[in-house]
Amino acid sequence: MYLRATPILLAAAIAASGQSVSFSRDVKPIIENRCAKCHGASMQLGKFDMRSREAVLRGGEKGPVVVPGKPDESSLYRKVAGIEKPVMPMDGKLSAKEIEIIRGWISDGVPWEGQVTAAPSATSGLAAMEEFKVSDGARSFWSFQRPVKKTPPVTGEAEWDKHPVDAFLRQPMREKGLKVAPLAEKHVLMRRAFLDLTGLPPAPAEVREFMDDNSPDAWEKLIERLLASSHYGERWGRHWMDVARYADSNGYEHDFDRPNAWRYRDYVIRAFNADTPYDRFLEEQLAGDEMDEVTHDRLIATGFLRNYAKVGFREKDNPQYRFDYLDDMIATIGRGVLGLTVQCARCHNHKFDPVGQRDYYKLQASLYGYVEVDHPLVPEPEAKAFAAKTLDVNSRIKPLRDQVKLLDLPYEEKLLAEKYRKWPSNIQEAIFTPEEKRTPGQVLLANQIIRTTRVTPAEIEGVMTPSDLEKRRALDGQIRQIEKERPKAIPVAMGITDGDYRFAPDGAGDEPAPGKGIKQEVTEGSFLCDGSKPYTAPAAYFLHNGDMANPGSKIEPGFISVIDDGALPTTLQPGHKRTSGRRLALARWMASKSNPLPARVMVNRIWHHHFGRGIVTSLDNFGRNGDAPTHPDLLDWLAVEFVEHGWSIKHMHRVMMTSRAYRMSSGFSDEGNLRTDPENLHWWRFRPQRLEAEIVRDSILAVSGSLNKEQFGPAVFPELPKEVLASMDKGIWRQTGDGPGVWRRSVYVYRKRGLPLPFFEVFDLPDQNISCGRRTASTVPTQALTLMHNEWVLNQSRRFADRIATQAPSGVDAQVSLGYLLVLGREPSALERSEAVDFLKSRTLGDFAHVLLNLNEFIYMR
Amino acid sequence: MRFTSRRDFLFEAGGGLSGVALAHLLAGDNLLAAPTAGQSCAGTAVASSPFAPKKPHFAPRAKRVISLFMSGGVSQMDTFDPKPALDKYAGQPMTGKGDIVVRQGHPGPLMPASFKFSRHGQSGLEISELFPNVAKHADTLAVVRSVKGRSNDHVMAHYELASGTIRMGWPSVGSWLTYGLGAENQNLPAFVVIYDARGGPFGGPANWSAGYMPAAYQGTIFHSKGDPIFDLKPPGDLTQDQMRARLGLLEKLNQMDLEKNPGNSDLAARISSYELAYRMQACAPEAVNLDSETEPTRKLYGLDNPITAPFGRQCLIARRLAERGVRFIQLYHGGIGNQNTDTWDAHGNVRENHTMHAAESDLPIAGLLTDLKKRGLLDETLVIWQSEFGRMPISQRGLGRDHNPGTMSIWMAGARIKGGQAIGASDEFGYKAEQQIVTVHDLHATILHLMGMDHTRLTYSYQGRNMRLTDVYGELIPQVTA
Repeated sequence: MYLRATPILLAAAIAASGQSVSFSRDVKPIIENRCAKCHGASMQLGKFDMRSREAVLRGGEKGPVVVPGKPDESSLYRKVAGIEKPVMPMDGKLSAKEIEIIRGWISDGVPWEGQVTAAPSATSGLAAMEEFKVSDGARSFWSFQRPVKKTPPVTGEAEWDKHPVDAFLRQPMREKGLKVAPLAEKHVLMRRAFLDLTGLPPAPAEVREFMDDNSPDAWEKLIERLLASSHYGERWGRHWMDVARYADSNGYEHDFDRPNAWRYRDYVIRAFNADTPYDRFLEEQLAGDEMDEVTHDRLIATGFLRNYAKVGFREKDNPQYRFDYLDDMIATIGRGVLGLTVQCARCHNHKFDPVGQRDYYKLQASLYGYVEVDHPLVPEPEAKAFAAKTLDVNSRIKPLRDQVKLLDLPYEEKLLAEKYRKWPSNIQEAIFTPEEKRTPGQVLLANQIIRTTRVTPAEIEGVMTPSDLEKRRALDGQIRQIEKERPKAIPVAMGITDGDYRFAPDGAGDEPAPGKGIKQEVTEGSFLCDGSKPYTAPAAYFLHNGDMANPGSKIEPGFISVIDDGALPTTLQPGHKRTSGRRLALARWMASKSNPLPARVMVNRIWHHHFGRGIVTSLDNFGRNGDAPTHPDLLDWLAVEFVEHGWSIKHMHRVMMTSRAYRMSSGFSDEGNLRTDPENLHWWRFRPQRLEAEIVRDSILAVSGSLNKEQFGPAVFPELPKEVLASMDKGIWRQTGDGPGVWRRSVYVYRKRGLPLPFFEVFDLPDQNISCGRRTASTVPTQALTLMHNEWVLNQSRRFADRIATQAPSGVDAQVSLGYLLVLGREPSALERSEAVDFLKSRTLGDFAHVLLNLNEFIYMR
Repeated sequence: MRFTSRRDFLFEAGGGLSGVALAHLLAGDNLLAAPTAGQSCAGTAVASSPFAPKKPHFAPRAKRVISLFMSGGVSQMDTFDPKPALDKYAGQPMTGKGDIVVRQGHPGPLMPASFKFSRHGQSGLEISELFPNVAKHADTLAVVRSVKGRSNDHVMAHYELASGTIRMGWPSVGSWLTYGLGAENQNLPAFVVIYDARGGPFGGPANWSAGYMPAAYQGTIFHSKGDPIFDLKPPGDLTQDQMRARLGLLEKLNQMDLEKNPGNSDLAARISSYELAYRMQACAPEAVNLDSETEPTRKLYGLDNPITAPFGRQCLIARRLAERGVRFIQLYHGGIGNQNTDTWDAHGNVRENHTMHAAESDLPIAGLLTDLKKRGLLDETLVIWQSEFGRMPISQRGLGRDHNPGTMSIWMAGARIKGGQAIGASDEFGYKAEQQIVTVHDLHATILHLMGMDHTRLTYSYQGRNMRLTDVYGELIPQVTA
């Protein structure tokens, strides 16, 4: 019988040979060669250091890892033996013999001799960890190949060979023997196009216009009309805002208002309406401040990089947060633009895709110089005048304030002493003991109180002598007089540019760092570069394990190796020299011919919204763990078409919507099809889509006649029940009452990270803090409760009933017709009409209107 | 098909919704009134629902969780982690513990506990005088004295306890359990949150967010007074008769539409959702209606005393929800109004703050444990008492204590966990967890395990990665799972 050398047998063998483990001979080489590069001189990952016995016994951040004499209870042994995760070392398991040595060493009580030095190859070991090579096999993965426009197949079916999209779709259906749905009825198509392109149901006049148009290009004309509508950008811009994790507040504890965030939202809407080429759209958002021509819109666009949820606290005191924000940007660019989960490579090489940790830090270096800034949105002379005047006002006020301070001083001291005397005796004793005589504990106690006790101006004025009070008030008067000269705030965009974050002025939430108490200030240097000398970006480093305490080599900006042919520069410093040009280079690479991903990812998003599912279902992941494309040739054809037509998104709508596939009925069914392709992966019928939360609300407002179509500007705040407001007390929610002022389209509703609008939440609003390409659509009872009982819905339903009564005063029949026309864009069927008329014999129009708003057909696009 | 009584209907509905039409539901008399007995509100699943029950990985120890979250940060050395060394070194600086990281102001000297500890039960578990009633259950509690968090910020620490990460946008434990196990009772939400009448916890609704999972898995807020769920009932000016008529027509029109769209399960599910909504309308108020509770029970939870009554109501409702098969019941004690007084956030004065909050919660929590035990529910219910972090052994301005994620004490009870034990230990002052350090991932792994789920196997595919509540970490707490 063959006996395998199990560890226990090996141990027995070592024991039997009478040979015990020698530290110098057996253990030390293992530590030096296999452990020390992460747990030695250059870094101590997990705060675990293996350079001395004391350090080994101390353990890491999770406590001791070795119980001398008990290897089975020692996580160090368990991890190298693979009993416990993560298995160590991370770069490859120890041999069975080495594992046995570690076991024996712990059993022997962790003996130690001499000094463990860094392995001779430690530096190269580190460098080896940073190295990353893309294998040819990895490079050949489908999504890393440049898309090629193949000639569409010929199906021999005339109506499917006219349009490339149809030919690509029909071919596999023929192979599978799938039947295809007939074209949808005209009114269904009309409603589909309206909801899809504008997010609003068609108004009766619009219904008539289209239904009466019998020209052969009526459909094309409708598409053009809708693409030209200003509501188009409100609908499709919102899809992008999901990707861009746009919100109007910071999130986290304070959830501070972002008073200028809405300008980014408006920029996105305008960009979609103007059909800004997608490559330029990306460039503006990543590097609007670095482009040849810097416009206000481009400065606003840089808000894309600033849409991350923000903890607060100054980054200069808490740089770890800054790395989290950078991670958020990289994650958003990765998923949103590249369709790659680049953020997975923050702490280690990507587990599934050929994305190295080094790639991650190259992208990080490209963004590293960013600082948050409010770009003035006025002509430069005006902005300069504003800054100069502000400085002038401040410098004239300062000496006056100093005088007030001097005047206050004796009173302040007296008042402080009174406050100190209110504390328990041990605290008073600490405070009143002369500084040099305090015990160490008293020093701390006294410090705490003295440094945090304040006296208010009102308290001081309350105890001042009349003559001092008069002087103080006179000074205050002078200050107020000068304050009147303070210039009115100028409009600003919330964006980013390059600079040095360590000199950033304080903003909302920048309270002293946790645990520091006193703000740390750096004195040499400046926040922004004025261009007199070219801006140089601060050095960025490879961070081992993603930990800023473990920096590796300095990293130059760059791109993702697997899709980078090295042809493009990684820095394009603009003429004004105020920024590095790294972001501009990154943006140019994104939309370059050599990058196969962004065009595919974007056409797939557009396809997803039109057809209810992406050709690649995982919209944000085109990597190995993402879904493979169901129609790879179609996807590539679309991607090339997109680039060939100047990255025009509107062109892609035309391409997709004029296909026969888009115009199919969703009501068709076939037993054979359901057996062969139950999930309709081939699009043998149109996939109905539940309207998104915002569109449900917008549709209700449109139907009731309440919709306020005003566009752009600061956000609106729909009325919230007070119980909801009570669940969150930070940040803002400006209740202005329910009425036309807030009956704007949902894209203008304030997006508070900490408090999503309950109506939206019930209809599956995604989490607003992370980039989200694909929303879910659940069907849960709370949706029914909301549409049946919510006060706002009921109010809109009453307004809807009034609208019907006013516009169709002539009788029940006309009222039923109008109700259907408004809600569904069609006449009721005979059966529906008879049910409705019957219902209205004993019930009111209010009852009827409310039922219509609850119809399945109303909250689906199909 | 016609039901002769509501009870018949509910019985049928419990067996599945096939063939049960909303019109029939509405035709029954007095359907929208509350059922008289809790049992009629039991309802099993519809296969198409996101809440359809799923099999656990192995036999669970508990069917549900009641999480008692003390918002603001409870001081461990004043409650469950006695530190005599603080008396010895009172007034001296804390040394030998590395960097002293405070959240506000400047570090102060070591400060002894404001409350006396004594041994309780047969186990002799040490608990401070703040919890005289909970202490009577000493032999039921497994106290973990070495839970280590990652943030000294209230909100981030809340998020960590809720979701395992300090960042926003991740699913909470309740969402994971609902996703993994579905609901026991389709007539009530599977994941219910009841927060303090003074306000929500730090970080607000993100604490019960479903993160990247479908929004259906997020927690549903139950109000402890009035209608438990928003929009549960029509506003007063709408009569039952009107609502019934509207639903009748809706049902007919939606059915006609369904016939035109064969094979569309979404449309059928949406029709069912109205039926479910109407059962929830009857069942949710019944679940929070305490009228049927006896006088001794109400007293047990302290409903007869204005100080204990608010949290007592929350605890009693929690028991009723547990009986009705709600999967995850999240109670918060302490809510954002005035942070210093309305939560456990004792920066100003530990003695005053903790005396007040312990007085509000001690009796109700003890009542809940007693009641669950008496009804035979404790063995299948995991009760967990926790906070977002511990507090500092050094003083803040002489009387208060600052935040300290270095260690906190939490306890678990029920689910056949061995009681009367103290697990892990913090250092001599209670600054940092020292022995058997338990991370929040470990805590979550343990909770999932007790619910019959392997935390390494409960995954949700997001962005091409199989995400886990415990990320790539998490070890069971052996003394709890033993």
